[in-house]
Amino acid sequence: MKLISKLTLFITLSKLAIVLLFVLTLPYLIGEIARNYTDYYLQQQQKKVLEVVARNGVDSYLQGEESYGSYTMLKEEYISLEPVEKGFVLDTIYTDERIIEQDTLNYRVLTHSFLTENGTYLMEVGKTIETIDQYKRPLQRIATYVLLGLILITLIIDLFYTRYLLRPLDRIIRTKISNRKFPFNENSVPIKTTTTDFRFLDDSLINLMEQIHEAFEKEREFTANASHELMTPIGILQNKIENLMGEPDVSDFVQERLIGMQKTLNRLKRIVHSLLLISRIENEQFSKKEFIPVADLIADVMDEISHRLSERDISLKIDISNEVILENINRDLLFQMIYNLVNNAIRYNKQSGFIHITDRINPDGTYDLDLIDSGIGIPQEDIGTIFNRFKKANQSEDSAGYGLGLSIVKSIADYHKITISISSEISKGTTFTISFPAEVIRS
Amino acid sequence: MKVLLIEDEKTLAYEVEAFLKKAFYICDMAHTARKGLEMLGVNPYDFVLLDLGLPDQDGLKVLQEAKKLNPDAAYIILTARGNIEDRIVGLDLGADDYLPKPFSLLELQSRMQAISRRKFNLNTQEIPLGEFIIDLQKRIVSHQSNEIDLTRKEFDLLSYLLLHKNRVLTRMQLSEHIWGTFADDDYDSNYIDVHIKNIRKKLGAFGQVEWLETVRGVGYKIRK
Repeated sequence: MKLISKLTLFITLSKLAIVLLFVLTLPYLIGEIARNYTDYYLQQQQKKVLEVVARNGVDSYLQGEESYGSYTMLKEEYISLEPVEKGFVLDTIYTDERIIEQDTLNYRVLTHSFLTENGTYLMEVGKTIETIDQYKRPLQRIATYVLLGLILITLIIDLFYTRYLLRPLDRIIRTKISNRKFPFNENSVPIKTTTTDFRFLDDSLINLMEQIHEAFEKEREFTANASHELMTPIGILQNKIENLMGEPDVSDFVQERLIGMQKTLNRLKRIVHSLLLISRIENEQFSKKEFIPVADLIADVMDEISHRLSERDISLKIDISNEVILENINRDLLFQMIYNLVNNAIRYNKQSGFIHITDRINPDGTYDLDLIDSGIGIPQEDIGTIFNRFKKANQSEDSAGYGLGLSIVKSIADYHKITISISSEISKGTTFTISFPAEVIRS
Repeated sequence: MKVLLIEDEKTLAYEVEAFLKKAFYICDMAHTARKGLEMLGVNPYDFVLLDLGLPDQDGLKVLQEAKKLNPDAAYIILTARGNIEDRIVGLDLGADDYLPKPFSLLELQSRMQAISRRKFNLNTQEIPLGEFIIDLQKRIVSHQSNEIDLTRKEFDLLSYLLLHKNRVLTRMQLSEHIWGTFADDDYDSNYIDVHIKNIRKKLGAFGQVEWLETVRGVGYKIRK
């Protein structure tokens, strides 16, 4: 789930929970407030009564009667005075039922005993709380509606605000992480944000990418320089050997030794050439503006390599579409890529084995080329690493190649956004699937 | 034929010089651009072998100036840079050929021969070889009035051996010439032998092919 969804969900749920709690506790709260207010009101009434009694004497109420009682028309309030025994002390407020003219009503009752010249009297002031209870339900309902409405409004505000707040993060992810391609050589523009966390994240990312880019640049530069520096002495050595071999008085024995030296030197030359090629590809020194029909590409490769097929009696079946044209590619590089793969398919094949090349156009516009061989296969655990430099699929002594062929394939594939997947079965064979993205297929 | 070699790597320059002298070229050397241009100013040359990575001046600029001083010479660029762009610029500026370092001296010689053939439109385009005549320009091998059908690789192999006649060429040198950078490490494999066998078979049907000799343990040569 995205951060913004999570945040919004959490905020909404917590708000709902709080509102629910409030609505549920609302009757109790209202009751509490009403009781407090009623109690205060009753105390005020008590004070008034006592004032009147103190001023005019209790008789102003009793009017000669034994006791006094009065209530308002709707029986909301009542007041009563009655004599009690001397020494009786009571001063409290409580809720009680009172039956007044056949109506049972809940009252909040304040009782207070006080002394007058006529003896001790007990005063009761009551106020009904039925009316308060009547308010509780509608109040709860209205509160629910109002609060839900408020939640909705704050939700919309939250949504907009969090979106605004998180926009830098979104931009960081979009421009700095998800669309970046190794080795991150395009310049990073800092994302505008006032949030320090995002600032820190963005700065760290820029810093990190720069470091990666720098390290990559250094490696690339080193490879290029080292290759060039190595080329000159190799050239000198090669020419010295050639000149020596041309001498008329060189014996057969020495001649053979010279050939051995030439072979070793050539191996060195090829490694340096390969490293240089990889570094040039990674440095994007090749243009990608050419096009070639796949059938022509395969035919070109076969033209160069077919002598090796006959040498090992390997049968070849090419079963590909004549219509597919690759564009925005570098012909030489793709040639090299297919060449290296076919070369491997021959090198690691069985005597009298087969190589089968098929293809398919996928509905999404991508294009797959399958290179199936009946070779020795690649162990499952090696499949992940065979594209690494100086890694040989078969470590046996007599197998040729110096582990750069597939690295070259990999860098060419990466350069063209081509993916290569491998499925292999030991001593049965290997299938290399070369998947071309839709943008290099002419439609 | 007079050759000027402008190359700052002295050891390499001496090897090239030694090879060219043996191939009967007259070879002068310059180790800096300044010296090279100076020599071009006073002497006429047939070939200028120019290293692009000179210490005192950019090789491509040297080429431009040299072309002004000596427009008739054939220019071959030698470089370890090997950029495609450099190659294109070099050829655009009027270089006749381009050899990436490290190069084989035999390759250098055959490039020079090819330039000579083009430049002087020599009558020796048709080279007799035993009972056969080989036309390097038209890429045809014929016996009397019969044209013999050779594959591209077979013809390349035959002409390379012919250009370096009387010299033993190893299988590696041959495969490097024919397959270039794609030449593989399997030199001991017999595909050069297969091609030679095919050449012998095809030509042998018409006449003697003793001039194509196998040198045991080394390679092949054409004796003439």
